[in-house]
Amino acid sequence: MAAEPGTTATGESTDAGDEPRSYPVGLTFLSGAVAAGSVLPLFWLIETAFRTGVAEPVSLLFDPLTLQVLVNSVVLVTSVTVASVLISVPLAYLTVRTDLPFRRFWTVAVMLPLVIPSYIGAFAFVSVFSPNGEVQSLLAPLGVEELPGIYGLEGTVLVLTLYTYPYVYITSRASLKTLDTSLVDAARTLKHTRWEAFKRVVVPQIRPAVAAGALLTALYTLSDFGTPQIMRYSVFTRIIYTRWATSPEFAAVLSIQLLAVTVLILAVESQIRGDDTLHGSGGSAHSSGRMRLGRWKWPALAFPALVVGLALAVPIGTLLLWLVRGGATGSGVPFELEYVANSVDVSLAAALVATLAGLPVAYLSARHSTRLGDLFERITYVGYAVPGVVMGLALVFVGINVAPSLYLTLPLLIFAYVVRFLPQSVGSTRASFLQVNPALPEAARTLGRSSIGAFRAVTLPLAAPGLLGGAALVFLTTMKELPATLMLSPSGYKTLVTYIWQMQEDGYYGDAAVPALVLVAISALSIFVIISQEGYDVK
Amino acid sequence: MSEDDGSDRRSSNRRRFLAAAGAAGMASVAGCSALLDAVNGDGGDSDGDEGPGLIGSGREGRDAPGGTPMSEMPDLSGTLTLYSGRGEPLVGELVSHIEDLYDDFTIEPRYNSSTDLVNQITEEGDTSPADVFFSVNAGSLGVLADEGLAATLPDDVATMVDGAYRDDENQWVGTSGRARTVPYNTNQFSEDDVPSDISAFPDADQFQDVMGWAPSYGSFQAFVTAMRILNGDEETKAWLEGMIDQGVEAYSDEFTVARRIADGELGAGFTNHYYIQRVVDNRDDPPIATAFTEGDAGAIFNVAGAAVVSSTDQSELAANFVRHLLSAEAQEYFATTTFEYPLIPEVEPVGELPTVDELNPPDLDLTQLSDLGPTLELMRDAGLDV
Repeated sequence: MAAEPGTTATGESTDAGDEPRSYPVGLTFLSGAVAAGSVLPLFWLIETAFRTGVAEPVSLLFDPLTLQVLVNSVVLVTSVTVASVLISVPLAYLTVRTDLPFRRFWTVAVMLPLVIPSYIGAFAFVSVFSPNGEVQSLLAPLGVEELPGIYGLEGTVLVLTLYTYPYVYITSRASLKTLDTSLVDAARTLKHTRWEAFKRVVVPQIRPAVAAGALLTALYTLSDFGTPQIMRYSVFTRIIYTRWATSPEFAAVLSIQLLAVTVLILAVESQIRGDDTLHGSGGSAHSSGRMRLGRWKWPALAFPALVVGLALAVPIGTLLLWLVRGGATGSGVPFELEYVANSVDVSLAAALVATLAGLPVAYLSARHSTRLGDLFERITYVGYAVPGVVMGLALVFVGINVAPSLYLTLPLLIFAYVVRFLPQSVGSTRASFLQVNPALPEAARTLGRSSIGAFRAVTLPLAAPGLLGGAALVFLTTMKELPATLMLSPSGYKTLVTYIWQMQEDGYYGDAAVPALVLVAISALSIFVIISQEGYDVK
Repeated sequence: MSEDDGSDRRSSNRRRFLAAAGAAGMASVAGCSALLDAVNGDGGDSDGDEGPGLIGSGREGRDAPGGTPMSEMPDLSGTLTLYSGRGEPLVGELVSHIEDLYDDFTIEPRYNSSTDLVNQITEEGDTSPADVFFSVNAGSLGVLADEGLAATLPDDVATMVDGAYRDDENQWVGTSGRARTVPYNTNQFSEDDVPSDISAFPDADQFQDVMGWAPSYGSFQAFVTAMRILNGDEETKAWLEGMIDQGVEAYSDEFTVARRIADGELGAGFTNHYYIQRVVDNRDDPPIATAFTEGDAGAIFNVAGAAVVSSTDQSELAANFVRHLLSAEAQEYFATTTFEYPLIPEVEPVGELPTVDELNPPDLDLTQLSDLGPTLELMRDAGLDV
């Protein structure tokens, strides 16, 4: 992530108007404080795990239940990741490299499942495919009395795959688009079959991109709490959430173990990706190299249709069905607009704080490229890799042991969101600072502005779109966040997510229809922000 | 069902009980809307002051309840944090009714399972924001008291209920009673298919793969604790393992179990008595009925109750809130809306509910049910995620 040397040098000389090569002390201090704040809560996780000594947590590691949870989690992550790759790579190939009918439509449609929060997908699937769900009642006249259950590993894999494969799809698609097809042609002239050419030429070229997408899928799967909870499949997040109040030490030990698995996944991914980032010859992709599907056209069309049908039609259809049936299923707890307002309030606050906190980190890293600055920038990414349930738990312990006056208050909840989603703000802000030509603030300095004045008058306005984009991402991901919200919300403070979750837990699915549709609509917005921000062309 | 002398009387009691509960269901719909009207101030002719009167009166077939009305209780003011192990769909209406009675009174409820909440308070210790802990069972209240985290209730609050339904040192007080039952789907089973002995269930072939339970649910854990106390650890563990071998399906709460039975997804299960009545109340003649076991852990009569959390700095407000849960209106609410047994002697149970004696509960001191630790350990040993 090192900035180009040229930028850095100019940047430093900019800041060094009075005193050449002065170290940005204040900025480093600020940036360090933000970085420390984002990892410090994890300390209390460790403190709680080991508060009764070392023997017990170590023996907990080898407890049969712990091992079972570890095995379950690994099986789940592996299955979802493999399934996602198996779905995404062919989908990407079909939409980029073939003459699939309605290619543009399918390109967007197969990305859209990202819009559905996985827990909403999960409870829609449960209500439709549970042994006596909607599908069974449709089939009842045909004598179908019960369907095989959807609960457990299979259901969890199905739902998580449907809502995370787009990560792999998006990265695979990007790399297939820039694939150097002349190599394929070369392989073909060397009398390789199509399949051999794919294996020997295409696979190595797209592997880093597939690995990057698979990493996102794996991390999401490992950190997801709602889906396994609904599908009743015991993985780390589920056990941590259900056990923290009963045995906090055990939950803390499991959390540390979950963090270790997260780190392992990151390490594996960097191995697969390797150091060499293979670039195609950029823009030279020959559209003429598009494969003709011929009579396979229609069977090939069934594939994206099936995926999109399952991932989008099931949940949205279910929610609309509930709505048409009159929504409320009698929980006696009416949905109020106040819950939306609460969601918006905390999300706005999180976005604002994340943007402000991200500023010094992003600026220091973009403009000064000091070793500490880079380190701090990296550290803020730790929060992103920490699953929400773990961050929630860590902050519960902080609240109870360190800052009881903040425990179960909005500031601590917002802090949790900021720490979790800070990288979205830092990344976006940093990229926009890199785009500002350092000569501009320099010019302002020569016109007599102080360095802070030049920053405010020139750099900040130019970087504003990036800041805004980062803030929007933080806002929208905060709206959807589940486990930390459940663990840290003030008593009596309901948001969209906590209301949906409560109704889901109590089995009043119909009451969750309206808020779930609102949330899906808001999430849809987030995808379009991401797509437009990345200048994602859909051709 | 065994054909001994008692069974005729029991089944006739049972029929009366169910018929009465059905009728009460109808009444409670009227009652609910009256309460809602009172709370919302619907129909310009009712102002807030009429609320308490409306809760108790205007119900078909029921006179105004005896006991102390809320209007004769001390006013509540300030902000009260309520950790409620009782679900919002069940008690939210009552909680907001009490909140709305007073202009400068706010309740901040935190709804979760009783087990989780009592452990949360234990973990929070002196810094717990909770003022009142409202639990579905005596066991969690006992844990709170055993941990030294329950304040002593004023005598005049605690003695509103019979000594059998409160802590000996007034650290908690029961607010309503509930019986353990065996709900079953009437399309799949008849009453005769349901054993009257809880120990017979693991070997009852008719229940293979069709039963449901909620092992993480406080009331269920109280039931297992009772079995442990009555039959010993080994037998209880064997019972749990037997049920798991039967393919019993786990749900997060007992209302879901009851609803799944009425849906036909399950054939039978283990729940408190009033969940069945709530399903009956919400649906048009669902195929679900209630069976009871006799004199064993499957038939315990537990209480839901409340305690003031010792870390509170507003113990008077907290105690007065608990007092409101024992008011005429609140007890009437429990009887007719949640279908529980009222615990103040002045309020009658709904219709012709069998008395506690007629339910054949085992001989057991409810405070013993606080010993949850070994129960959870046993359940985990048996292979349950709790």
